[in-house]
Amino acid sequence: MNAQIALLLGQDGFINGAIYALLALSILLVFSVTRILLIPLGEFVSYAALTMASMQAGKPVMLGAMLVALCLIGLLMDARDALRAGRRLRFRASKLLMPAYVAAVTGLSVTLPLEHIGMAFQGALTVALVVPLGPLLYRVLFLPIASANGLVLLIVAIAAHVALTSAGLLIFGPEGSRTEPFSDATFTIGDAIINSQTLWVIALSFILIALLYAFFEKNLYGKALRATAVDRLGAQLVGISPALAGKASFALAAFISGLSGVLIAPITTIYFDSGFVISLKGFVGAIIGGLASYPVAAAGAVALGLVEAFSTFYASSYKEVIVFTLLLPVLLWRSVAQKGVKDEQ
Amino acid sequence: MSPILRFRTALLALAAIVVVLVAPHLLAPYQVVVLNNVGIFALVTLGIVLLTGIGGLTSFGQAAFVGISAYATACLATMADLPPWLAWLGGSPWGALAAGLALTLLVAAILGGVTLRLSGHYLPLGTIAWGISLYYLFGTLDILGGFAGITGVPPLRLFGIGFESSESLFVLIWVVVLVSLLATLNLLDSRAGRAIRTLNGGQIMAESMGIDTFRTKMVTFLLAAGLAAFAGWLYAYTQRFVAPTPFSLQAGIEYMFMALIGGAGFVWGAIIGAGAVVYLKELLQDVLPLLLGKGGNYETMVFGLLVIVLMQKMPLGITDTAARRLKPLLHARRPAPSGAAPWITAAPPLPRRPRPAPAESILEVRGLTRRFGGLVANHDLSFSVQAGQILAVIGPNGAGKSTLFNQLSCVDTPTAGQIFFRGRTVNGRSARDMAAAGLARTFQHVKLLPTMSVLENAAIGAHLRGGKGVFSSILRLDRREEAQLLKEAETQLVRVGLGAHLHAEAGSLALGQQRVLEIARALCADPCLLLLDEPAAGLRLKEKENLADLLSKLRAEGIAVVLVEHDMDFVMGLADRVMVMDFGEKIAEGLPEQVQANPLVLEAYLGGAE
Amino acid sequence: MSAKRLMVSMIFGALYLSPAYAQVKVGVVTSSSGPVALVGIPQKNTVPFLPAKAGDQTIEYIALDDGSDPSAAVSAFRKLINEEKVDAIIGPSGTASAVAALGFAAEAGVPMLAPVGSTAVILPMDDKKKWVFKTTQNDEIVSTALAKQMVKDGVKTVAFVSPTDPYGDNWLKVFSADAQKAGIKLVDTERFQRQDTSFTAQGLKIISAKPDAVMIAAPGSSAVMPQTTLYDLGYRGKYYQSHGAALSGYLQLGGKKVEGTTVAGSIMLVLDQAQDSNPSKQVAAAYMDAYQKKYGVKPATFGANVYDAGLLLEQAIPVALKAGAPGTPAFRSALRDALEQVKELPGAQGIYNLSPTDHSGFDERGIELVTVKNGQWAPLK
Repeated sequence: MNAQIALLLGQDGFINGAIYALLALSILLVFSVTRILLIPLGEFVSYAALTMASMQAGKPVMLGAMLVALCLIGLLMDARDALRAGRRLRFRASKLLMPAYVAAVTGLSVTLPLEHIGMAFQGALTVALVVPLGPLLYRVLFLPIASANGLVLLIVAIAAHVALTSAGLLIFGPEGSRTEPFSDATFTIGDAIINSQTLWVIALSFILIALLYAFFEKNLYGKALRATAVDRLGAQLVGISPALAGKASFALAAFISGLSGVLIAPITTIYFDSGFVISLKGFVGAIIGGLASYPVAAAGAVALGLVEAFSTFYASSYKEVIVFTLLLPVLLWRSVAQKGVKDEQ
Repeated sequence: MSPILRFRTALLALAAIVVVLVAPHLLAPYQVVVLNNVGIFALVTLGIVLLTGIGGLTSFGQAAFVGISAYATACLATMADLPPWLAWLGGSPWGALAAGLALTLLVAAILGGVTLRLSGHYLPLGTIAWGISLYYLFGTLDILGGFAGITGVPPLRLFGIGFESSESLFVLIWVVVLVSLLATLNLLDSRAGRAIRTLNGGQIMAESMGIDTFRTKMVTFLLAAGLAAFAGWLYAYTQRFVAPTPFSLQAGIEYMFMALIGGAGFVWGAIIGAGAVVYLKELLQDVLPLLLGKGGNYETMVFGLLVIVLMQKMPLGITDTAARRLKPLLHARRPAPSGAAPWITAAPPLPRRPRPAPAESILEVRGLTRRFGGLVANHDLSFSVQAGQILAVIGPNGAGKSTLFNQLSCVDTPTAGQIFFRGRTVNGRSARDMAAAGLARTFQHVKLLPTMSVLENAAIGAHLRGGKGVFSSILRLDRREEAQLLKEAETQLVRVGLGAHLHAEAGSLALGQQRVLEIARALCADPCLLLLDEPAAGLRLKEKENLADLLSKLRAEGIAVVLVEHDMDFVMGLADRVMVMDFGEKIAEGLPEQVQANPLVLEAYLGGAE
Repeated sequence: MSAKRLMVSMIFGALYLSPAYAQVKVGVVTSSSGPVALVGIPQKNTVPFLPAKAGDQTIEYIALDDGSDPSAAVSAFRKLINEEKVDAIIGPSGTASAVAALGFAAEAGVPMLAPVGSTAVILPMDDKKKWVFKTTQNDEIVSTALAKQMVKDGVKTVAFVSPTDPYGDNWLKVFSADAQKAGIKLVDTERFQRQDTSFTAQGLKIISAKPDAVMIAAPGSSAVMPQTTLYDLGYRGKYYQSHGAALSGYLQLGGKKVEGTTVAGSIMLVLDQAQDSNPSKQVAAAYMDAYQKKYGVKPATFGANVYDAGLLLEQAIPVALKAGAPGTPAFRSALRDALEQVKELPGAQGIYNLSPTDHSGFDERGIELVTVKNGQWAPLK
């Protein structure tokens, strides 16, 4: 290995690490607000990448159909819950927000000449299509069992991953896709060629992390979400609805992972089932952060990307074995660091 | 066991044997194959029931454990030139079983060692990671045949009998399943089994009863891995080849689905869940192409959706829902028994620890301080309690009483100060050590196992007074000791006035009764110091009087009692001394009458003049 | 009617409607989910184009998915044999599954047409394997043809790339042997996973080994990323791809970065340039048109493996009918014998000549080495 190879491997590991970090942050956010380990997060990534690719290939975008279906199921469940509780069905304008949004983005996705609207707009529309998946899935799958124990939540999350992956196979087919790079330019620093796409990924990741920080520190809604994460009951008492907080955290997670999908789509071939492995690495990052610390999780995820790149270089057939076995020392360290016996909530 | 019950058990066992022997010859050949798979899956799922449903530990690593054992079996059975140190194992199915078990348990011990001390979410995520890691290891190692796997495993021969046909394997598999089921039922109905069940009810409680939670978790994890290893051995001889896919993470997830759909809290849920998933998939495979056309691949998606719906409708699984529906029918036939069974009441009492001498110093606290960040929860507390004395600790909410209790029982560590229990410092001791030394406690927020009977809940308290482990309970060699433990539980329950509720589910009791049950549980430990956190809350007047009588009797026996309580009448009539706390500090201590007259106390309780 | 009852009656209604008269039943087992899905899905998608009739006899196809799991494949085989009483089985997609399942097919006396690449399922011929027919070009034949071409191109050193799955495993084995025979030095072997987000590390390793050429053996679109990454990293040696890459998605995803690659394909790739006299041309064209019409994409070679299996059955069934009615052991045994006698049958991938000793029946005539020229397939000169 020479310096140039090390530099290139570092660059490669850093890009993947940045994506893992974004996902690790989404996972932490959703977990702290709802106690749900959002296993289907990876599907948001692959759905986004594949939707963007179908737009560029001039194929019909089918994600809207799924949104409409989920939205209808959600409305039916709302109506059923209201009837069961003995309330009359009342019209509230806020109830129309989601259906209207879904109708709008779905309408755009079927009417616009997507092939020709330019990459920026394609990307924006893709993310706009993926974001409602978050709150809709929360409404349909998790809200009915919000008070169930952690195991049931986990199983539903995994079953959702299974169903979404095979729905992805139906919608996008078995073959992988790849999108056009944002720009073709390359830079040379010393001996190394740096792809401009790399810079895009890293820059956007940092901007996103900065925005998240600002959202949680400065914005009222961000603070409300944080409050829910710290103390669910307390937040409820001061008027923050846990259902709304859940939907918001899912929407944010879908936004972040949708954007990650758009970012990596030009770098690599994405398949209907690519998301799981990517999100698992986000989970490894989240574990390194102890399912609590955002900065440690982000740093851990980036480190994981680097370890992955270098271990692939030395022993490509043992890559996954090495990456996932490395979790053992991390767990050991956490285990030693933990003192005494604690009860879970 | 009564003769009638014994007869019934024998009849059931006989029926099971007949069914297992006859069934394969009556069923269509393909159904035998399917049921063989169900049997192997049920064995693995049984491990998850034990681990996840009963022990509260979520693991997706079972499939990988099956794989380790299956690969070990296949390797030993097919490899022509084993290294010399392994050669003696080659060709023998027993050798393969031993090797598979040993290897699986070794890996499980390592993996358990690094995760089981951590909180609940690390284990599922950790096992997902190993699931992937081991899958690729199976596929990458040349010695294991890569992704194509190992073929040509010879048929199984045991005791000179060949197990080649599906019918003969059916008998073997289902005998193993039924024996494992019986063993698990035996285990759960014992001291060791209660310890496992306690894991699900909060570790602080378990540790305070003297249960080593880490060790218990490890034992449970190893038992589950052992069941998986058995399944792997059977798998290798049933399929006669091994390849990585059946041991992938997806398979691990599917086993978890089986356990949850069946009902993870029920031993029978393993068979019901494995059967339900296998037949559901068969049904989907047959029906979906007719409903949705032959083109697409809808099976996995519909399966995923069905799991979601099932979990939303029956979060505790099919067995739970079925049991609820059937319960009225069963109850109509069999009247609930009252009192403990004869084999329990006939047992000799457990030996007791030597009583402390009258007026021996039991608890001595000097300058105790506990800070949480900037908050001082306890500040410079000093007091002492002697044998045969009742000290009441009173104070407004947030005065630091529960914090004090947690430090006394070594659940929490003081920031500064000293605690002496029977003359020895408690520094560096664990809650478990304190339980062994004779400290027993109850909790402000009741910590019981709601689905377990009142009798069994109380018996948890006697954990340290028995010593039989997992293997003796599986083999039923623990019955003498078990009878003694249950008898102790019965005695204490009768003493606290719950004698009529021995067989009720603890969760069905009124809150006040649950508090009293906690006292009975604490008494089962034969303590010399009893810490009671708000024992009278939720009790009716008559019940309070009974409780006061009981505590007076305990005092007469030489037991020291420290109790936190809000009910002044109760406290003032009972306690020898009263300590008043406010904002973490002791503001008064003395005889009840003295304290009642103390102006500081009045101010703290009634709020001083502004 | 409650929703539950409606569901139940729908299910039973549908079951009731399924036809029950005597006909030839053929099971199809594919891996349309799991690690081999890229191979299995075009195969499953091909089922609707299999011949509906052979002679006067209608054929019913029952398709099952084995999830790339050999034990599920075995279960599917047993289900088809014991419950559905099929006369022949096409499948499964994976070599490991086929090896595991063939014993059960042989035991029940059901001919099995395996669309798998490895010759392990038919060689060495024995009492069990005589029930198995292989409907693909052997990986060995493809690999040998590519190795020969490498020698012709003056390649002395080569790096080999394949995914960590059964397809990649078999190719690594086969190609290592062929390269050695052809006197080409294998200087580096790299593995990757289909879902990997990056091939950079492996690419750098290959570049530092400085091979004359890179051989990539991966199914479907997964063959693209290794090559484009190597291109981006600046590797400009020769590229060779197995027949796994032989589909249009490869050209689309690879774009100008895969220009000049040598690909082992079948006539399906260069249909336009093929001689009209080539009897396979029409067959392949018919299949590809039908497939494209239904799914909007051209089929991968793997789909043709199943399509050809259907053609073989179509040829053999009328012969076998003389020996007995469908559903009887006599019919199945005669079907096996008849399959062994198939001669000069044009399939979508080439011409079949089967014999009691050769149950694959393809020779090098089935392979067309093609290259990528201006974003299109072109015959290699």
